[in-house]
Amino acid sequence: MSLWRLEWLRLVRTRRLVAILSIYLFFGLTGPLSARYLSAILGRVGPQGVKIELPPPVPADGVTQFVSNASQIGLLVVILVAASALAFDARREMAVFVRTRVDSVREILVPAFTVNAAAAVAGLVVGSLAAWYETAVLLGGLPPGRMLVGIAFGGLYLVFAVATVAAVAAVVRGVLAAAGIAVTVLLVLAVVGNIGSVGRWLPTSLVGALDALVRNADPVDYLPAAAVAVAGTAALVWFAAAVGARREL
Amino acid sequence: MIVETSGLTKRYGSHTALDGVDLAVTQGSVFGLVGPNGAGKTTLLGILSGLRRPTAGDVHITVPRRRMALLPDTPQFDPWLTGAEVVGLARTLVAPRVPRQRIDEVLSDAGLAEAANRRVGGYSRGMLQRLGLAATVIGEPDLLLLDEPASALDPAGRREVLDLIAHLRGQATVILSSHILGDVQEVCDAVGVMRAGRLIFQGALADLLVGRAVPAYRVHLRAPVEPAADALRAEDWVTSVGVTGADSLRVGVRALAEAELRLPGALAAAGARVISLAPLAPDLEDVYLELTA
Repeated sequence: MSLWRLEWLRLVRTRRLVAILSIYLFFGLTGPLSARYLSAILGRVGPQGVKIELPPPVPADGVTQFVSNASQIGLLVVILVAASALAFDARREMAVFVRTRVDSVREILVPAFTVNAAAAVAGLVVGSLAAWYETAVLLGGLPPGRMLVGIAFGGLYLVFAVATVAAVAAVVRGVLAAAGIAVTVLLVLAVVGNIGSVGRWLPTSLVGALDALVRNADPVDYLPAAAVAVAGTAALVWFAAAVGARREL
Repeated sequence: MIVETSGLTKRYGSHTALDGVDLAVTQGSVFGLVGPNGAGKTTLLGILSGLRRPTAGDVHITVPRRRMALLPDTPQFDPWLTGAEVVGLARTLVAPRVPRQRIDEVLSDAGLAEAANRRVGGYSRGMLQRLGLAATVIGEPDLLLLDEPASALDPAGRREVLDLIAHLRGQATVILSSHILGDVQEVCDAVGVMRAGRLIFQGALADLLVGRAVPAYRVHLRAPVEPAADALRAEDWVTSVGVTGADSLRVGVRALAEAELRLPGALAAAGARVISLAPLAPDLEDVYLELTA
């Protein structure tokens, strides 16, 4: 029994891993479905006598629906799950138990961050593969190389998001507060990313990389954001360890 | 000394939780920390365990952090863990070389053998306290900091904890904070009395009791006791008379030897029907109340 196993058990026994995988899988399967049948759905539910014509869906549309849903609801689930693990001082007595048995808070933080980031990436991979398969069946094939690169960029963004949660949780004690502030920070980054050419440097631009790449965007355009995401992740985890070490219980 | 503090002070804003505490704990002893609520006991244990930082003063502990263990007053664990996993985690973190079968042994000693593989979310408060104790001793620490270790236990559980603490004497150093003064009096070699963040006494328990105890008798009478109480108050060798129940008195005397000679006669003269009378042994509770009043 180790701190790594503790975090794994936390994900499994509390069904949080199932929640992450399920939500991404759900959107992975329904995204291409809704892209393929959107016209028919709107025709059925739209007002009588109004005909809605949409351009015929292309394979990239299947990915667009998935990315749109996953980047909102999926991300929210990831942040909530990560906050429940990374705000470890919110459970004071358990925090006392662990903190008094390690030499540094890094020993607690690294497993919690790594396991939750891996779970988030696993969810994205599962959802993306489902979307890929479903799109291939319903709409047509997608370029494999671009799909893989897009998934990698999306995964990198989720790792950055989990690191953001870790940094916020080191400052605020509660789970919901950590999740709420982390969501706000990422939203603000996304808004700021729309200002001029700043966006290409912000990790939030990686959210839409998968969608853009299957529509023939250049992967090189996302390298600045990826580099900032890597550096930012390292800095945020370091910050979380430094600030967390100074917290008193 | 295994633990020494010098001028230890902890402030939270304008509130002073610890005020110049100079603590000295001998290696291998069982040191009892007593005091009213808010005296600073938990804060002091928190600083010794590294969970809090002092505002001023020094802390000197001769054992490394991994050879210390803290048991908080209300141990809690993630509810989806089993008891065996909690102790196993403690073992991995502080004593990975301790054989795995030791996990089962400490759980059995804590009376949790049958519940070892149950999730702790279903444990009672007493079981959680036992589990906390098991997780504390698995690493065979050199210094144990126990914050109210018996508070949630039934009498049998309290007895087991006290026996365990007594058994540790000489093998490890124990600093034990407790409201149950009888427990402290039973197992501790030395006592520290805290009030309002200050350590107002520390030293051998015997020194505390001998130096301060007021000689007194406990007298059980057939009711009513008031006539006897009034008669005793008139005696010059009686320092105080307190009615402690419908049928009992606490009689403070100048000297126990004097009371042996004169108390039975005084009670007889007052027409009291005596059920029993016995000298009161020096009691930590009396001394504690006097010091912290």
